[in-house]
Parts: sequence; structure tokens; C-alpha cells
Amino acid sequence: MTNVSKDALVQELVSIVGKEWVVTEREYMLSYLQDETPEPVRPKAANNLILVKPSSTGEVSKILRAANQARVPVFPVGGRTGLVSACVPTIPGIILSLERMKKLEVDRENLMVVAEAGVTLGDLLRACDEAGLFFPPHPGDEGAQVGGLIATNAGGVRAVKYGVMRNYVKGVEVVLASGKVLNLGGKLIKDNAGYSLLHLVIGSEGTLCVITKAIIKLHPKSEHSVTIIVPFSGRHEALQAVQKILLSGVVPLAIEYVEPDEVNLSAAHLNEKWPVQVGGAQLFIILNAESEEELLVSCEKVSGVCSEIGAGEPVLAETREEQDRVLRIRSNIYTALKPQLIDILDVTVPPSKLGDLMDAVEEIAEKYGVHLPVYGHAGDGNLHVHVMKEEGKAPDYVAKVKSEIYETGIRLGGVITGEHGVGAIRTQELTKATDEAELNLMQGIKKLFDPNNILNPGKVIT
Amino acid sequence: MSKGLKIVVLVKQVPDIEKVRFDYEKGRLDRSSAEAVINPFDLNALEAAAQIKEKIGGVVTAVSMGPEQAKDALRDALARGADEAVLLSDLRFAGADTLATSYTLSCAVRKLGAFDLIICGEKTIDGDTAQVGPEVAEFLGIPHVAYVDEILDISIAEITVKSRLDGDNYVVKMRFPGLITVTKDANVPRLPTLKDKLRSRKAEITVWGMKDLACLDEKQFFGLQGSPTGVAKVFAPTSGKKKGQIVMGTPEEKARRIAEILLKLGASQ
Amino acid sequence: MNNVPDAEGVLVFAEQNNGLVHPVSFELLGKGRDLADRLGVKLSAALLGHGVHKEALELVYYGADVVYVFDSPFLSMFDPVQYAKNLVRLVTETRPAIFLLGATRLGRSLAPRVAAALRTGLTADCVDLDLDENGNLVQVRPAFSGNIMAQIKTKTRPQMATVRYKVMKANARDPRRKGKVIVKEPEVLSDTGIQILEKTAVGGVNLAEAEVVVSGGRGLKSPGDIALLKELAKELGGVVGSSRPLVDAGWISRDHQVGFSGHTVKPRVYVACGISGSPQHLFGMRDSDVIIAINKDASAPIFNVADYCVVGDIYEIVPLLVQELRKLKAVKNLDERK
Repeated sequence: MTNVSKDALVQELVSIVGKEWVVTEREYMLSYLQDETPEPVRPKAANNLILVKPSSTGEVSKILRAANQARVPVFPVGGRTGLVSACVPTIPGIILSLERMKKLEVDRENLMVVAEAGVTLGDLLRACDEAGLFFPPHPGDEGAQVGGLIATNAGGVRAVKYGVMRNYVKGVEVVLASGKVLNLGGKLIKDNAGYSLLHLVIGSEGTLCVITKAIIKLHPKSEHSVTIIVPFSGRHEALQAVQKILLSGVVPLAIEYVEPDEVNLSAAHLNEKWPVQVGGAQLFIILNAESEEELLVSCEKVSGVCSEIGAGEPVLAETREEQDRVLRIRSNIYTALKPQLIDILDVTVPPSKLGDLMDAVEEIAEKYGVHLPVYGHAGDGNLHVHVMKEEGKAPDYVAKVKSEIYETGIRLGGVITGEHGVGAIRTQELTKATDEAELNLMQGIKKLFDPNNILNPGKVIT
Repeated sequence: MSKGLKIVVLVKQVPDIEKVRFDYEKGRLDRSSAEAVINPFDLNALEAAAQIKEKIGGVVTAVSMGPEQAKDALRDALARGADEAVLLSDLRFAGADTLATSYTLSCAVRKLGAFDLIICGEKTIDGDTAQVGPEVAEFLGIPHVAYVDEILDISIAEITVKSRLDGDNYVVKMRFPGLITVTKDANVPRLPTLKDKLRSRKAEITVWGMKDLACLDEKQFFGLQGSPTGVAKVFAPTSGKKKGQIVMGTPEEKARRIAEILLKLGASQ
Repeated sequence: MNNVPDAEGVLVFAEQNNGLVHPVSFELLGKGRDLADRLGVKLSAALLGHGVHKEALELVYYGADVVYVFDSPFLSMFDPVQYAKNLVRLVTETRPAIFLLGATRLGRSLAPRVAAALRTGLTADCVDLDLDENGNLVQVRPAFSGNIMAQIKTKTRPQMATVRYKVMKANARDPRRKGKVIVKEPEVLSDTGIQILEKTAVGGVNLAEAEVVVSGGRGLKSPGDIALLKELAKELGGVVGSSRPLVDAGWISRDHQVGFSGHTVKPRVYVACGISGSPQHLFGMRDSDVIIAINKDASAPIFNVADYCVVGDIYEIVPLLVQELRKLKAVKNLDERK
């Protein structure tokens, strides 16, 4: 650390948030030193860290002002559910956890919710539900916090119909590195007043400012939803169906692509049973509508499109309990694979190119003689490719496999990451895949926001 | 000649327990707050019936008592493997407790004719009594096994099941006709196919009222009149807030304090 | 309807297993004694089994005035048809006004058959019993998974109820108490259609009897983290419990579940880790002697019932707690040796 001694800094932090909310002993901050990134690619957390838990924007502002003056790095953390170590403190500094800031207020008249950064996705969903409203995206782990969801522009399964976090955040309160508090956007559906700094902040992974509060758009609750699982003989048929479904006029919340090995593994991991045991590839489709009647018409339409391609008979999960069960299995594929996982890629291509991407991944797998389990948000062109250990170890071709997959993604008009972000572990790939002029602009922006480079240094751009 | 077993599954329509809200002032639940669903435990009963049918053949009839809208629960049963469905619906059936309900259901089963096996869910999530199965068995004068976790063997004459009662596992062979209630551990209910779901929406559901079931002198056994138990009052569970001691300090201090308390309580190996 | 005006007395079904009376029966005798004294009537118990005579006196020691013993090899194991038949006969003969059974699975399988045969009302899983001004039984039971409580009254006699294990209090055993033991001739069927092929004790957790329970809830992030609870439980000589979400998610088996749809526990110490405290869960553990709750959310309802409230991350606190316990114990052992 620079400029001031650690003791002096700790004392200053204690004077801001109180003794109880400043932690210096490493053994009491272990869970703050990593996220859900697979162990083999996870960077090590630095020593000499201070964990601070402010309770208000004012406290955050004071902390940042102090850190900025002392030139001490600040690592904002949320629920630590990310997959690219964006919140991992890789050099000595302050870990800023916003978990105590969890005020939440639903504004029914404007169909919006105002939530502090520490509100968890689970809390948010429940509060909306109780107010008879609906927060459409479901970007993964319900322990994730609003600040992190926005900072990472989280995506998730319902993006086909409802988009990602960016489509829902209408305003944020942020604290700049200087300690200055700024409100961007508002309870507005339209806002054309100058450059949108709001959208710059969304997805900036904690490198531009600290998000302390957000205004999030909601929808009225849609009463009926159903999940259908359609078996196909193989991947090509399944992907062909995705395009036809999207053209049919039915707009599902989600179209997920799964293969039997992975869902069965996940089901076994949860002590459950996957309901469909036929087909080499399956689509998991969530539909919603105002009435059951309308819903079943959509189901028939989807089923009709699929059967033209030779799909098997779809099954449907209709009760909340059954829908939760199948979604839980789908959502836990990652957890089930994790012990054997080296890295999870989320290359994203235009939806029409997903088949090409998958073919290429298969070729790469064959070339190196490896198994690369895949599943993905098929409706979004977002594919999760898993690079696995062999006999418990990372094989030496890992780097080559990864870079070939990235290159393929870019060649097909895609990006290296669709939803997980860059964090600490994809910075080189981002540099490689991005035009120099664009990178320069990004670096310039970073410098404008954070001249002393104290906010989440070493992440996104280096 | 019909082959296989004649199976009856008893089902109930219940409010979705996760969504239902309570009006503590009026002392009742706000039924409009939640949609009605088939009792989740009944799905295990239907699945058990479907598996038996697949194994040795048979016909499955789902029977439910309730208002007209309970047809939805029966349609769900039809989508999940039942072949026929009968709704017992009559204003005079309303207000029934478990005794009157069981009596009504047993009358319907008698009217259906000879049967081999009745399957019920372990209990319903709204009433939570687990009484209807055994009461129906008594009214019909047939044996029953409750809390079946596994069907070990079945033939056209008898069934062998594993049932857990408190600290013991029982393996029981029961001759037909008989009744079992199955737990959530008995199976994983299948999801209906879209085809079956759509077909069930158009299916005919037989409706029987009082006149179809009872002789005149038996009317006192149905509905409110036939129900010896009644709810006198409903109230919110006492919150009974304790003034707990808040353990302050750093995580380390908190842990030490709790460890001291635990040791003082003698809770340690 | 079986509305017998001259019905009088309280009858308790004394459940036994392998010749030993189930503790719930002693609890029923405790409550039954209270009701009988208030009504000024006799408290009887019905004991069915094989070779169970020696237990009859125990029932007297715990409060019964009269014990009816039905002893037969046909009653050695639980056959609901045989048991119901004999109980129905006893009730018809002795005409009790109140008939209580334990809400164990055995009790809940048996009681409805008896009630249907007698055409009388039965209230399931009661957590409290009282008398109204006319001496009628007021039966309190939770409904809708513990979200509401209902008071239920029965028009017919006997007023039958199954009563939840571990909510009533047994009286202290008094070996000087006197009572009558009446041996009844059991009426048995040679074939009820039921044949018990095997009966084996289930291994595994005994949550209901545990002195210390360490429970986890939604605050756990993955199935593997149950190891965290196990470690603490081991340190405390306790067993691991769970709230419903973990059971529903398949992370832990159903026999670990504490709450309305699981076990009711009453340990000396209950440690709730990452449990928010839904009404369903509180229902099953709120009567524990000492409750320690650890939760990140200071507004979690679990803190309303806790004796010691720790606002914090279980992932930090629990490992530290294990460490501290080990340290303190090491010190204690040293002191003891001195």
C-alpha cells in the first residue's frame, strides 16, 4: 500500500464504518477472496487486505475518498457468484462489500424498484412477486447482489424474450473514485440527455465507479408459464428448431440447449431425475402468457415446428414445483461439472451461427482428443463450453483449445464473452480480440473516471 | 375380458401453498390469492398407478370430491396416466371433514364396482391430516398400508411394499382389494407429454352428485351434516418473540462468545 | 351420529414398539391426566402387543388409573386392521369421552380406521388440547403447513385426536402410583389380508431425540457445504438438521428435516445456520431449550425465537466457531488434568 500505513488506513476506515465492520484478519475474510471461478484458472488473492462493509452511500463515498487520497486499490464485491474473478483482490488493498446496503422499495405506479447494491437477486424476486410485479431476467445464482448484477451486466436464461440487465436498469447511483456521488438516469423510460454514462457503467465490472443503488424496470406479473422439454435426435435438428421457433411468432422466455449426459449428471448431483431420457440433444423452452389457453396454443405451435424436424414428443412442466425442479437441474449443470472443470467459456455468436460454432467446437475436441461438454442459451447464440480436467489434472493443450474456440467465435462474428464478462481471467483475450482504437477509447474512459487507477485495478483492461 | 388391475386413485385440488396468503383478521385463507393445483402428494399416487399399469396392465380411475373447478385437478390426473375420471360434486357434499369426505369417496368407489387397489397420496398439503386413506379403507372394509416408500412387487392378486413407520421399515404383503398411501419417496412423478395434456383438456369427466351415491336414509353422512368436527376458531401462530441477546463483535469475537456459551451449556463432546 | 351422552373418561392409546412403550404415550398420559382431573373422570390406557404386560405398570406410574392390556402374538407387530378392531371394541365397551393417540406414523395410520369404524370425529396432529366451559375438548392444530392454527371441536363421542410427539409434557414417573391393570381377551382375525414379512429398525439420524441439533438452510450455497454443519455437529456431539429447501433440493435426506413437514425437535441446544426462519421451520424447533441463530440478515425471523443472535456469514462464523470450541476444549482438558 502506498502513502499511508495500513494501521492509519484501518483507523480511518474504522472511524467511517465502525470497528465491527472492518476486518483485517485473513481467516475472517476467506469467502471474500474468491468467486465461483473454477479453481485452475482462479487468480490468487493478495495478502495484506482490509475488508470493509459500509452501510450507506455516504460511507462508501468517505471510503473511496480516503482510498483515493492514499492511492489504495478498492475491490468492490457483491455476492461473489461471478465466473471470471472480476471481484478478486489480486493486489493489496480494500475489499468493499456492499452487503449491508439492502434497502429496497417497489414503486408500483412506475413499475420500477429502487434497490441498494447489496439487495440479493433472491430478495429482489421475492419483493417483486409480493408486489404483484415481475423482474424478468433471471441471471443465475439468487445470492448475487444488485450491484454485481449491474456491474457485470448479467444475462441468464430468460434473455430470449426479456434481454439482460442492461435492458432493465433505468438509473444508478454511483460513487466515483474521488468520493463524488452521482446519479445517472432515473425513473425514465426515455432519456436522451447527453452521452449515456449509465450504459457505460453497466457492465464495467467495478472498474469505473462503485454502484450503490439502482432503479430497475419491472413488468406486471404474467400469470401463466410452462416449461417444455423437446427431445431431438441430434444437435443439428435441435438448432434448426431454435431458428424455426424464433421465426414462428412465439417468443419464449428461454430456449436452452442441453445434452443428456450433462443434465443427467446434474440431476444425479441433486439426487433428482431428469424427466426426458430420449434424444441426443434437447431443447428446454420456457413460455409465458396471459392465459392457459394462449399458453397451450404457443406450446402446440412450438411442438408443431419441432415435429417437422422430427422431434420427439415434448413433455411439459406446468406446476411451479415441477418447473422449479427442471430449471434447478438445468441450472446446476455447472455445479455438477465444477469439480472436474478447468474453465467455462461463454463465447457468443449471432444466433444463426450457433450450429457452426458447435461444429467447430466438436472439431477442436476431436483434434485434441478431449471431451468438451456444452450447453447454452441457444436462443441467444450463447454457448457454454467446458474445458475439463483429465485424470484430475489440467492437460497441456488447454491454452490451445481455448484460443481456438475464441478465434472461431470471433471469425463467426461473435465475442469472447456473452455474459460472464472479462474480469481478471480474460483480459489478454479481450486485448487480442479488440481493435486498438477501441481499446484506446476504453483506456481513456477508465482514466477519466479513475485517474489513479484505484478501482478494481487489473480487471477488464490492463 | 379386462386384463390387469383395476386401480382407483383419490386426488384432491388444493391451493398452491407457497402462494396462498392468510387473512388473519377474518381467520381464513384468501383463496383468491393462489391458484388451485392438484395436491402434490397425489402426483406420487398417480405415478405409482401409472407404473403399475405399465408393468402388469390395468385401468386407472381418478376420483375427486370438490366443486366444478376441481375438474382441473382431474384433467391433470388424466394427463398423467389416469384413464377415467369421476368428480363427486354436490352442494350437499360441501363442508365435509375427513370423515364425511372419506365416506363420500368410499360410496363412489363402491359404485365404480369391483376394484383391486386404491392409491392415495400420503396426505394433502392443505388439510395435512393423512386420514382420508385409512378412513376410506375402513369404510370399505379393506386392509391398508400407509406411508409406502417403495413398491417391491406386484401381481394381479397382491402387492408387496416397503413402508416406514417411525423408527422401523416394514415389508408388508397385502392381498387385493386393498389401499395404500404413498410418500414422496415412492417415485418421481413423470411430466405429462404435451399430447396427453391437450387430450386431457377435452376429456369427458363423469360427475356424480348425492343422488348418484346415496340412499335416502344415508344423507346425514355427507357434507357438513356428516362432519363431526368443526373449526371453532382460526388464528395466527403465536410469534412469541423472545428478547434474544445479540452477540456483538468481530466474527472472531462472536465465534468465541458462542463457543463459551455452548461449553457452558455442556454441549460438547 | 354416535353422540353418546353418557360417554365419560379419557382413554389413551399406549403405543409400543418391541415391547417398549413409545415416549409419546407418556406425554399423552401427562396431558390426559390433566384433562381427566379437570373433568373429574378416570384416565385409562390401552396397551396392545405381545408380551407387554410388564409395561402396563409403567403406564400407571405415568398417570393411568386403568390399563387395558391386549396381549396376542397377532398383535406383536402393527397390523392396522387387528389393532383397530380391538380398539373399536374397547371404546364401544368403555365409552370414553376423549380418546388420544400419538401422531406418530403408526398412530396416524391407526386412528383414522378407528374413527371411521366408530363414525366419530378425529383431529390430526394436535399441538395443544384444552377444555371449553362445557367440558368439550378444544383441539388445536396447525393447518396449511403451519401457516395458521385452528381450534377444532368434535360433536360426537369419543372426541378423537392424534397428538404430536414432543409437544406435551409427561409427568414424572411415580412408582408409588396405584392403578388397575385389566387383561382383555384380544379378538384377532386369522387373516386380515395383511402379512408383515419383515420389520427392521431404520438406522441413521435420530433427530427427534437429539440433545444438540445443528441445522442449515437457504444460506448454504452448495450441497458440499453440509460438511460445514457436520463438523460443528460433531464438535458438539449433535446431529445435523435442515430446513425444507435443502431437502427439496435433494442436498440432504428427508429424515434430517426440521419443521412442520419434518420433525419437531426439542433439543437442549439448537444452532440455526443460515436459516431465515419460515413459520414452517419455527414450528418444528421453537421449543428448543436454547436457540442460537447465525444469519447474515439481521431482520431474519429466526432471530425472533433465538436466545443468542449472531448477525454474520455462516461461512465465516461456523469455521471460527469450530476452531474456538477446539481451543476452549483444549484449555478445559488441561485445567481438568491439573
